[in-house]
Amino acid sequence: MRVSLKYKVLIILVLSVIIGVALYYYGTKARQEQATGEALKDYSYIAREYALDAIYKSKEFPVEVELYPSAYTEAILERWKAISERYPELDYPESAIEARDWIEVHKAFEDTDLLKDVIRKMYKDATIAYEGLGGSYITLLDYIFYKKYEPSNMEDIVIDLGIEPPREEE
Amino acid sequence: MKKRITVIIVTVIALLTIVSYLMFQWLNDNQDIEEAIEQEFRTLRQYVEDVYAIEYLDDDRALVFYSWDFPVFYNFGVMELEKTWRGWQFVESISNRIEVENAWVKGVYAEITDYVILRGPMWAGIDEIEIITDDGREYRPEIGRAEWQMWYLILEDEPFEEATFILYDSDGEVLREEVLQFDLNWPE
Repeated sequence: MRVSLKYKVLIILVLSVIIGVALYYYGTKARQEQATGEALKDYSYIAREYALDAIYKSKEFPVEVELYPSAYTEAILERWKAISERYPELDYPESAIEARDWIEVHKAFEDTDLLKDVIRKMYKDATIAYEGLGGSYITLLDYIFYKKYEPSNMEDIVIDLGIEPPREEE
Repeated sequence: MKKRITVIIVTVIALLTIVSYLMFQWLNDNQDIEEAIEQEFRTLRQYVEDVYAIEYLDDDRALVFYSWDFPVFYNFGVMELEKTWRGWQFVESISNRIEVENAWVKGVYAEITDYVILRGPMWAGIDEIEIITDDGREYRPEIGRAEWQMWYLILEDEPFEEATFILYDSDGEVLREEVLQFDLNWPE
């Protein structure tokens, strides 16, 4: 069977267009999937860290997730605010919190040097004697986000600084 | 000659279409919902989750009750799936932070698509729950067990703001009565 040159050119053109459209479609889809995955990872992390309620309306591109503070979120924010009032270098982003822009809110914890500086000052300002190296910036994050004290003596520090009330006698 | 080629091409395309359709149908009918759920959790990036129950609303709709966030599993979720030509697909999901602590029973109100769902964690020793509303309605919620224990109620009539929860042990004895309140305006 002989196919004329005109048909050959036409077939090559049609195939080129199909391949071009397919490549464009899959390329765009791959980029969208990557962006979607990153966004969902961020939402999952923020919901977990800030104890937020979440409504996932769409997990395809464009991702649609609504985040709402829970009672536990309020407790996290209170601890954060109390430290920020005493050590203002730790920013407490009131407007971003009110706007419920949690991704923006979390940027306050990006600078680990600043967090190290705050915890160092907390240990320095405390009047109680302690042994060892003191807390790391993880100690500070553990306290703010989970009210977790172990394995440091952070509980004594925050009580001594008046950030937490004294322990109730049993 | 040209006619024969055209017939062959059309026949091949038609056969491929029919075979693809039948294969899709077969895969769809035999899809394991648990695998679909796992896949949805993976894409939601809610790693290390625990499924308490799968409730089929009809042949094509299901609600999955779960909690996530290792190691505490304090984020209690409900996810709706719908069966489409692509198999079980995600519709919507709601996750509520509920810290179990030492509570007997806790609960939240949520609406997912057309359904009102009440659900929450409960103490492991509870075997059955009876809910009595102020206007005298009685319900027996389902109980699912995984990392924690979760009760859930898919409400088909009017939601209520407050109800008494009577908690029974495995011998049918009343362990405790608790009054729970629900915020019907959540999430606003």
